[in-house]
Amino acid sequence: MSGLTQGSIYALIGLGFTIIYSVTQIINFAQGEFVMLGGMLSYILAVKSGLPIPLAILIAILIAAIVGALMYILAIRTARRASVISLIIITIGFAIFIRGIAGNQFGVNAVSPAAFTSGHSIQLGSLDAYIAPQALWIIGITFLVTIALYLFLSHTMVGKALRACAVNPGAARLVGINTKAMALIAFTIAAAIGGIGGVAIAPLTMASYGMGVMLGLKGFVAASIGGFMSPTTTVVGGIMLGIVESLAVGLDWGPFTSAYKDVIALVVLLLILLIRSGKLATAERAG
Amino acid sequence: MMPGWVKSKWRYFVVAALMIFLVLLPFKWFLGQYTSIMIFIGISTMITVGLCLLMGYTGQVSLGQAAYYGLGAYFSAVLSKTYGWNPWLAMVIAAIATGSFAYIIGYPIFRLRGNYLAMATLGIGLIMWVLFNQLSQYTGGPDGMSGIPYLSIGGFAFDTNFKRYFLVWFFCLAILFLSQNIVRSRTGRALRAIHGNEAAAQSLGINVTQFKVKIFVLSSVYASLAGSLFAHHLRHVSPQSFDFLASVKLVVMAVIGGLASVWGAIFGAGTTRLLSDKLLLGFNQFPQLDIIIYGLILMLVMIFTPEGLFIALKSGIKWLQLNWRHLPEIMRTQGKELPHRIKDRLTRLVPARWWRKAEP
Amino acid sequence: MSGTILETKGLTKAFGGLVAVDNVDLAIEPGRITAIIGPNGAGKTSLFNLIAGVYRPTSGDIIFNGRSLKYAPWYAKAIPPKLKQQKLLKVRLERHAPAHKRTALGIARTFQHVNLFGNMSVLENIMTGQHPRSKYGFFAAALRLPKARREEEMINLNAMKYLNMVGLGKHSGKNALSLPLGQQKLLSIARAMATEPKLILLDEPGAGLNALEKRELSDLIKRIREMGITVILVEHDMPLVMGIAEWIIVLDSGRKIAEGTAAQVQKDKKVIAAYLGEETEDA
Repeated sequence: MSGLTQGSIYALIGLGFTIIYSVTQIINFAQGEFVMLGGMLSYILAVKSGLPIPLAILIAILIAAIVGALMYILAIRTARRASVISLIIITIGFAIFIRGIAGNQFGVNAVSPAAFTSGHSIQLGSLDAYIAPQALWIIGITFLVTIALYLFLSHTMVGKALRACAVNPGAARLVGINTKAMALIAFTIAAAIGGIGGVAIAPLTMASYGMGVMLGLKGFVAASIGGFMSPTTTVVGGIMLGIVESLAVGLDWGPFTSAYKDVIALVVLLLILLIRSGKLATAERAG
Repeated sequence: MMPGWVKSKWRYFVVAALMIFLVLLPFKWFLGQYTSIMIFIGISTMITVGLCLLMGYTGQVSLGQAAYYGLGAYFSAVLSKTYGWNPWLAMVIAAIATGSFAYIIGYPIFRLRGNYLAMATLGIGLIMWVLFNQLSQYTGGPDGMSGIPYLSIGGFAFDTNFKRYFLVWFFCLAILFLSQNIVRSRTGRALRAIHGNEAAAQSLGINVTQFKVKIFVLSSVYASLAGSLFAHHLRHVSPQSFDFLASVKLVVMAVIGGLASVWGAIFGAGTTRLLSDKLLLGFNQFPQLDIIIYGLILMLVMIFTPEGLFIALKSGIKWLQLNWRHLPEIMRTQGKELPHRIKDRLTRLVPARWWRKAEP
Repeated sequence: MSGTILETKGLTKAFGGLVAVDNVDLAIEPGRITAIIGPNGAGKTSLFNLIAGVYRPTSGDIIFNGRSLKYAPWYAKAIPPKLKQQKLLKVRLERHAPAHKRTALGIARTFQHVNLFGNMSVLENIMTGQHPRSKYGFFAAALRLPKARREEEMINLNAMKYLNMVGLGKHSGKNALSLPLGQQKLLSIARAMATEPKLILLDEPGAGLNALEKRELSDLIKRIREMGITVILVEHDMPLVMGIAEWIIVLDSGRKIAEGTAAQVQKDKKVIAAYLGEETEDA
């Protein structure tokens, strides 16, 4: 079951990658940092500033969204028509910039916000498995966010405009869609989703200023499994990754201990990339 | 492409001055107190040159370069300490092993497009770091290993900073010269062609993927040699030196040094190292200042001078050389325009709808 | 038909549902100037990309100088014939010579959008063209061996030769993109010539040129033909084409609909219909 929970986490983060990539063709290496912001801020606001938890959560997500918007406006837009390699470095620069500020303001220790609902682990039916209530929250929230996103993309004007940009930015511009505004919206939504993810995860897995790197990477893996195409494929990818990881942790063969579980995600990533590159290569080019 | 002034007599003068400076530096009566820092700068420069060639001439990013640095260091450490091999032999074996590894992963990786390639390099870097931490029976785990022997020739051991300074800079300058020769040759032209226009390069008979892999292998060999020298200098290696932050610092060095510049690597490595020392001093008052600044540097440099800071500075100097007479006039006209330009930029940041007055 | 320098048999390229090149058979005679014309979207550039090795054919074969550009990898012999029939494996076992190898074999090309190296000078662009005809590698370059220096000399001389051939000799040191478009096109042709090809594919060389430049272009193409190099060009400018092409192939919607001399093609009803639509009046 923890595979499903972990998978939901990765799915949420992966959604952020998918949204930004499909609308702007940019891989946002700073996606993990939005998650970190959500988690850290919800703790800071609730515990240090004494705000009621729901309000703290809301403000944390809002701040994450604003940071996402700022990232687009200040870093991406000003670098108009930069090359892919420049954009990669810029997003990484932003990521470590945010991480540095977080480390500066919040300290380096991990924090553990209170769970959404208190209570002991719930027993799943008659199986000898327990699941923490927070984990249920995580899975549930992922589910809700995915549905909300799906509805948003298919039924609202803005959502459809976003999809238009994803399919063909040139054509979208021709029919009057402001691609720059769409990109801004994409970044904001992705950051908000990241923030939501962080807020939900932190009570379960603790938050620290450095959590963004690994989570971001795994979210990227989830999104690549899904092909960066749509929310549903990303979520499927995330859950698959989570399950594979938890299975691998169970296997304790040879010198590989559970510390290698992070490596699993990376190996999966490399395999996926190789498979995709194979498809790309043989489709068009010769040799 | 070389700016005009580089080809002139200036160049020999600058290079000679640099050489004299480097030779005299470690002496107490000159700048001897910086010997240790300069050793690190030399080591970093070696890695940075490889990274600059890779990023600048093939337009590919490596976010995990520290992995090859670490491979070189650990191979050297393990072979020379645990197994008692000759350190020079260990260094060569390390370089061959690292290069072979890069060759094997190179072909599959370089078929990926930019973003995916970057992620793949990041992933490999992290995998290496985890391995350095986990394979403790070989690597000593998170605490690393110590007691690595010095490099020595015959009875002469490189056991002082002074001696190692010359060793490191010998390697560093050798690598710089070799790289310069490569860049100016048919191979360098092919690399620049790939950077300029891949499709056209391919149409001229250049096997693009093969070149990219070759440069990748070269950069990993440079990093491995640097790692070996590092191991024999500090006599202790631990995984912290080869984590993601280390890779990021290398990218910062490359970015400051100019992505397609060989000699700019010294500038990049030097300024980054000096900067990081200053930043670490301020750590107490302002924790994590170093990565905040690195992040800012990466963003600002790539936004405004994507070819690298050093190259932009060189172009700037050249522009000044040509236009210094017109400077007062330029400043006057630009000065008048500046407030308008700023206002224009600011208003364009925000979508027009938001501040336009009510529409019919 | 022996004696052809380039043949295609059933050459087809499909992008998902869109068939860009549909079962095209060509036989190009050496030493001639052949033109490929057709309305927009007829598949001309795709055909070039297939010949040059940028695209992989969906089916069909290309034969250059009597040698097929399709081959099986070294391990194919080890696989029993029955397995070879499987459709999935067929993709893996059928390799097509990659673009850079074809250049070494003697096929050169230019691009519609020039594609010069903006980070190099005019001369360096052409020197890059000499890449497949020179040999020295990494080590010789790094150590500046005499072999390397000698080859560089040769490359330099040859590049100047090609540069002078298109009349751009005095611009050798300038940045390639600083030239006006007409000269950039000449430069790209000189660069392709530097690969010492037997066959050169010119993709819309006349696009964006004025009348004078087009005449210079025609002369250049004729001079290339005098050197014994076979020329295939894709072009929209009819007077230019009719003026120099000895053989014309007409494509429409990916299919070859006619071929022949300029006179023959001009009168062909199918060609007229393709360009003007079905309704035509007697000319």
